[in-house]
Amino acid sequence: MFLAVFSPKGSDDVSPDATLLHRLLRKDVSAFEEIYERHSRIVYSLVLRILRQGSTAEEVVQDVFLQLWRNSAQYDAKRPFMPWLLTLARNRALDQLRLKSERQRRREEQTEVFPQIAAAAPEYEQALDEKRRAERVRTLITSLPSAQKKAIELAYFEGLSHSEIAAALNEPLGTVKSWIRNGLLRLKDGLKARS
Amino acid sequence: MSNHDQFRELIESYALGALDAQERSAFEAHLAGGCAECAKALEEARWLVSQLAYLAPNAEPSDILKGRLLQTVRAEAASDSSLASASRGTAVPWWLWAGVAALLVFSVYSAWNTRRLQEGISDLQRQAEAQRKERAKLEQELLTTKRQAQEAMIWSDPKSVKIKLPAKDPTMPALEAMWHPEMGICVKGWKVPSPGEKRVLQLWLIPKAGKPMPSMTFWPDADGTFTAMVDHPPVGLVDTQALAITEEPMGGSAQPTSAPMWLGGVS
Repeated sequence: MFLAVFSPKGSDDVSPDATLLHRLLRKDVSAFEEIYERHSRIVYSLVLRILRQGSTAEEVVQDVFLQLWRNSAQYDAKRPFMPWLLTLARNRALDQLRLKSERQRRREEQTEVFPQIAAAAPEYEQALDEKRRAERVRTLITSLPSAQKKAIELAYFEGLSHSEIAAALNEPLGTVKSWIRNGLLRLKDGLKARS
Repeated sequence: MSNHDQFRELIESYALGALDAQERSAFEAHLAGGCAECAKALEEARWLVSQLAYLAPNAEPSDILKGRLLQTVRAEAASDSSLASASRGTAVPWWLWAGVAALLVFSVYSAWNTRRLQEGISDLQRQAEAQRKERAKLEQELLTTKRQAQEAMIWSDPKSVKIKLPAKDPTMPALEAMWHPEMGICVKGWKVPSPGEKRVLQLWLIPKAGKPMPSMTFWPDADGTFTAMVDHPPVGLVDTQALAITEEPMGGSAQPTSAPMWLGGVS
């Protein structure tokens, strides 16, 4: 299941990660620590955005990195690492989200505040590239009509289906499908054009 | 629009996980059918969807999380290292081989020793059996000697009373008996013919009053010789009128079933 993810050649998956993962296979603790330093912020940001609760988000992040540590042999080093890690984190967070009752989740949404917003990305060799890509993604999605942007966010961060999103936004199902597909294609074109 | 085109429109939403159940099943069936174009497009779509993570506001996990993770990882690494060392340590050390060799030698020795002991026990058992037989033989010889000594004493002691037992059949040899008041009766015969098949000779004590008292049964040997000893006669010497010998069925009789072949008065 881990391996059934991603691909594009020349993606953001860089050699430092491949080197670190190679060391991780030998149970190199320092390699694990470097991977954590490189990627824990985006992983935590994603999980926190989905779960909206700091303590639960940290538990999920801990699970994700421990899974990486314990099952690193299952990772296919030929595939880009970051998309794999982010997909793993998103799936874990959505699983956790679905465990909560709707009532409890609503209560938490009313009381939780985002903790510790990071001021900047880490100063690593690839940090600038990652930061730039993040800015592009935000710019491209933000430029979409708010309802279209909301539909994509509900799908990605809430794990809702087309029909659930249509119900949530009170929009026709076909419209929601088009919003999501067109929005993603626009993101794809935007990233290609600027890369 | 072809079927393929319809599925092509579902790829991004499938990668996002937004398809409803029916469309998801249909698309997965299409993928399972081996559409390479959709499979490739799906991989690209998955990469694209992963980029949506950057929409999340930047946040930083606590140092506590990092500390907890590293503590766990270091502990597991140490444990793995210990296991690996233990695994390497499972190579059989020389002393264990030596122990196995010693055990093997000991086992062979034990088997050999067990066999040797079994043979020794068999020898001892054979010796014990031989000794038992020897002892029985000696006891028999001692008994015979004792009987011979008793017989000799009965025949030589002045207190013994000699009793002649002439045969009723004049062709049969006469018998003799000696009765010692304390050591019993001894009857002897020579050239006495054997009784019939399944028949024995039986001695009777005929008291002065009453019926004949049964006593021992006996057979002459191949030469017709016999010696019969009665250690404790049922009747005393002074109360006995005569001795008689009859031929009786095997095992003897309580009362005579035939006429006396030999009969002698006690004087």
